[in-house]
Amino acid sequence: MKMDKLYIIHLDEDTQLACHQDKTLLENLEAHKVEVHFHCREGFCGACRTKLLDGQVEYITDPLAYIDDDEILPCCCKAKSDLKIKLS
Amino acid sequence: MKYTTFNQQSTNPLAEPMFFGNPVNVARYDQQKHPIFEKLIEKQISFFWRPEEVDVSKDRVDFQKLSDPEKHIFISNLKYQTLLDSVQGRSPNIAFLPIVSLPELETWIETWSFFETIHSRSYTHILRNLFADPSEVFEDIVLNEEIKRRASDISRYYDDLIFATQLWQTQGEGVHQVDGQSITINMRELKKKLYLCMNSVNALEAVRFYVSFACTFAFAERELMEGNSKIIRLIARDENLHLSSTQHILNLWAKGKDDPEMAEIAEECREEARDIFLNAVEQEKQWASYLFQHGSMIGLNKDILCQYVEYIANHRMAAIGFDTPYEVKSNPLPWMNNYLNSDNVQVAPQESEISSYLVGQIDSEVSVDDFGDFDL
Ligand SMILES: [Fe+2]
Ligand SMILES: [Fe+2]
Repeated sequence: MKMDKLYIIHLDEDTQLACHQDKTLLENLEAHKVEVHFHCREGFCGACRTKLLDGQVEYITDPLAYIDDDEILPCCCKAKSDLKIKLS
Repeated sequence: MKYTTFNQQSTNPLAEPMFFGNPVNVARYDQQKHPIFEKLIEKQISFFWRPEEVDVSKDRVDFQKLSDPEKHIFISNLKYQTLLDSVQGRSPNIAFLPIVSLPELETWIETWSFFETIHSRSYTHILRNLFADPSEVFEDIVLNEEIKRRASDISRYYDDLIFATQLWQTQGEGVHQVDGQSITINMRELKKKLYLCMNSVNALEAVRFYVSFACTFAFAERELMEGNSKIIRLIARDENLHLSSTQHILNLWAKGKDDPEMAEIAEECREEARDIFLNAVEQEKQWASYLFQHGSMIGLNKDILCQYVEYIANHRMAAIGFDTPYEVKSNPLPWMNNYLNSDNVQVAPQESEISSYLVGQIDSEVSVDDFGDFDL
């Protein structure tokens, strides 16, 4: 059995959240009661667009919504390392 | 440049801009300049649905229970949405197909517009169920001042682009006399019209539906008009995809990833484009006032609805590189997300069984078993 890895999400200087690698980033943020704008939860509406300042993610669904090079869609990606993000 | 339905010139579609390059010849999707449009086509087709599959028969009973102000809200929203989809069911085809230069984008436009016609047909499905003769509702769409004001704003940019394109394709660049007016046609002007039109369409897909969506889902929160809500959920999912496409187009231009001249125009017309968006937001807020002029509905009022429009607008404006001009920071209607969530389209928050199994339910709802204990 593969162990569920834990990463850290840095939201700002003082906020670090544990992040389960087997859940989407959005699910992780919600588990910590962080309000993230979302609609489709499937990568096509772009509502959850978030800046990725540091770290790597992998997509479980191909993101169709427009995102800039430094942005990610938390609804359809998982952490691949510790992350530093900036919510809009 | 004259339009041709099959350009006999060999072209390299990988080197064409999205619009105003060579007309498309071969409809091929094995290679794409902008693969996103092919992906959007696939996604949109995977969303295919038929209004007739959604059982709206229970809504008729609910509708009779609504207060008069609530009936006004419900019907007015349907009228407004009917207007929006009437425009969207034809205009992307008429405005953009004559000037598109990439096969994958051409097909995306056709697919997009086709889905708008499904939306239009769904309003007939909803209204037919509520009224023996829905004519009065449809006829009011071209008479109602509130709707007409919105219609002229929405169609203006399309009409402008269409007219200029027609002149260009029949008479070429230059100054043309039309009905005693001289009209200058050149590529820069055409591209500007295209840019403004795309911004207007983007604003339409981004915010123009959301007052109406919020009312629909507020009824559904009270377990009212759930057939309608099921249909609107399917529509909302499609609209999100359409919005994604206009955001991609605007960003491809602005970031210089397509036609370099469009990047200049995006810079040059930035304020005008921003105003188009802000104007759409204002109109939506005025729409909320019109809806609630005879009284509110449970769970919603004008102020919270306006805040919600501003909240959505902030996000939509940021997505195309604008500032976020509105104060509102957190979602004033968090329950909306349950309806805009794509997972919940199949399994609704309250009832609504999966749509495809509902065909024929109206006839079969009463079964023999229901009479099991019935003795004479
Ligand atoms: Fe539509
Ligand atoms: Fe649409």
